[in-house]
Amino acid sequence: MLDLEQRWELIDKIAKRTIKFGKYRHTLKDAIAEITVKPLTGIPIAIAVLYGFWAFFVAFAGFFTDGFLVKLFDMHWLPWLQEVFPAGKESWLYYIFVGDPLADNCFEAFGMLTSGLFVVIGVVLPAIVAFYLVLIVLEDSGYLPRLAVLIDTVLHKIGLHGYAIVPSILSLGCNVPACTACRILETKKQRFIMRTILAIFIPCGAQLGIMLKVIPETVGWVILYLLAGYFILGFILSRIVPGESPELLLDIPSYQRPTFSNVGRKLWVRTSSFFTTAIPFVLLGVIIINVLHLTGVIDWLATGLGPLLSGWFGVPKETVGALIVAFLRKDLAVAQLSAIEMTKYQMVTSVVLVSIYFPCIATFVMLLKEGGVKGFLGSLAALVATVFLYGGLLHLIWILLGVA
Amino acid sequence: MRKKLSEMMYGEEGIVKSIKESLKGKIAGMGIRVSKKVKMQTKQPIKGPVVIIIDKAETSLGLGLADKILVEVRDEDSVNGSS
Amino acid sequence: MRILLMGHPNVGKSAVFNRLTGARVTESNYPGTTVDYTKGRVRIEGDSFEIIDVPGAFSLEPKDKAEEVAVKMLEENKEAVAICVIDASKMERGLYLALQVIEKGYPVVIALNMWDVAQDKNIEIDVEELEDILTVPVVPVTAISGEGIRELALRIKEASLVKIEKIIEKAGN
Ligand SMILES: Nc1nc2c(ncn2[C@@H]2O[C@H](COP(=O)(O)OP(=O)(O)OP(=O)(O)O)[C@@H](O)[C@H]2O)c(=O)[nH]1
Ligand SMILES: [Mg+2]
Repeated sequence: MLDLEQRWELIDKIAKRTIKFGKYRHTLKDAIAEITVKPLTGIPIAIAVLYGFWAFFVAFAGFFTDGFLVKLFDMHWLPWLQEVFPAGKESWLYYIFVGDPLADNCFEAFGMLTSGLFVVIGVVLPAIVAFYLVLIVLEDSGYLPRLAVLIDTVLHKIGLHGYAIVPSILSLGCNVPACTACRILETKKQRFIMRTILAIFIPCGAQLGIMLKVIPETVGWVILYLLAGYFILGFILSRIVPGESPELLLDIPSYQRPTFSNVGRKLWVRTSSFFTTAIPFVLLGVIIINVLHLTGVIDWLATGLGPLLSGWFGVPKETVGALIVAFLRKDLAVAQLSAIEMTKYQMVTSVVLVSIYFPCIATFVMLLKEGGVKGFLGSLAALVATVFLYGGLLHLIWILLGVA
Repeated sequence: MRKKLSEMMYGEEGIVKSIKESLKGKIAGMGIRVSKKVKMQTKQPIKGPVVIIIDKAETSLGLGLADKILVEVRDEDSVNGSS
Repeated sequence: MRILLMGHPNVGKSAVFNRLTGARVTESNYPGTTVDYTKGRVRIEGDSFEIIDVPGAFSLEPKDKAEEVAVKMLEENKEAVAICVIDASKMERGLYLALQVIEKGYPVVIALNMWDVAQDKNIEIDVEELEDILTVPVVPVTAISGEGIRELALRIKEASLVKIEKIIEKAGN
């Protein structure tokens, strides 16, 4: 084997004989590359890009859900189903599949074919299509590494470095691939911190979509509270987890115009995997919840856990059902909250709880797979502590504000 | 004049003169090596990373890593005099 | 025969893999898109071979978990043929890794990917000369349009072991 110097020397010789650098034309790409990474221009641009991302997401999802799909489901699908469903309105079959016979919208009916389908297709599907569309454009353009450079200093404070922005942003789409993406971080410590805080605090695209629909006025606050949690927990973990937090060393690719075919292909792959993995879980979730309702398990749990839920977290005991489904699908859990009678503030707390309390089962499996037993137990411990302290803190804030 | 890569100014250009042994293999894959021309693209505030251009390609290094690379830059004061 | 796609992050290994196999592995414009390996099959003149898309690695001393996977794949498949994918617009650094793979004793084919980018940047590469010096097949490829993919596939069989001393000798004169 050659040593490093010898190898470079050889390459120099080869290069001299085989490569000719023609005149280099400064292009628009170079100009964009420069302004997007220099702090003075880059930081405002980054804020604009992220805001644009969010605005597009909201507008696109809203356009399809509110403008079109809500009408379809509430005015046509639900009445039709209530009319033609073969089993009697009192039967448990009706309860599981269609839900409340008096419901006039698909959110509240809570049957598998009503709320289940509405949540998946009416609300979450447009949201994740919108989300992935922008995300894919970001991925393919080459912007993410530059964002990483701009945010590096901030992420160092929590034991990570700029490139942790990649798993963090992927995680807004779905936590599962984001857990694997943590492999691009150098040390065990960094990967542990990243996996833990993203699984706890970063809501996935499906959840964001349903939050937009259920709590449109307060969704911003929920996200802010989660973001703050991401940094606080990251900061604490970076102090107590042993190990190194190396510096950023990142190759920055040049910008590329995303190609139609690649964007289309990735959108298709991700959307169809949503269909095959999410839809069965949501539908299954509705069935499970309805069965638990019918058999009285939910009531029993609500009574048992009621003191904790209302005493410590300040939310109604009925939220216990949502917390159970949250295991399977967070989007369904949030949807379920919408049917429970509570104040605006309790709603915020409930949504935060659904978010931070247990990642969905798929993420859970990834935590174990990527972190090993030890890493997994560590994440779990952080999670339990977070739910009680950070969830309870929100209740305390409401008490101090006099709105609890 | 020789200085650390981390001390280069915005837009300044230089030639890589030496790299700490521990870093050499790590950054070889990014095309960073002795005798290459390097340009400082930006330095992020509050001890943030630097972005340099080598062979028309951008690479970002944390300040601590940039400390381990020495570059020769043209001395502003002695442009007309000796080097 | 088993084929490994080796190369730096973001040089287009997954793009080459997708074109060769018809798979739909994720391609994105940032280093570290692929963090685990994917197996696929490629048909070359009637025969079917196993080909593996590997995470990118900047060197053979892994700096993160994704690179660990790449290096492990290489170590575990001593009998494999390596397609070293190089970004033609950043050829020198690409050769650094390709030479390391050659030195480790793998038969190699070099795919000079991003050929379109190199041309846009007015970089001229003498492919024949390069092939002559390295004595391994060198194929210009533009994976996103599929140009050169067929030739790459056809030439995989020509991959052979080369002694680094021979390359040094050839480069010298
Ligand atoms: N212009 C051009 N772009 C290409 C070519 N091949 C790939 N790309 C683009 O380069 C980027 C990286 O491609 P990938 O296939 O994801 O690269 P990779 O080597 O698998 O990267 P890692 O998985 O991160 O190691 C993507 O945006 C591709 O669309 C090419 O021949 N020409
Ligand atoms: Mg890849």
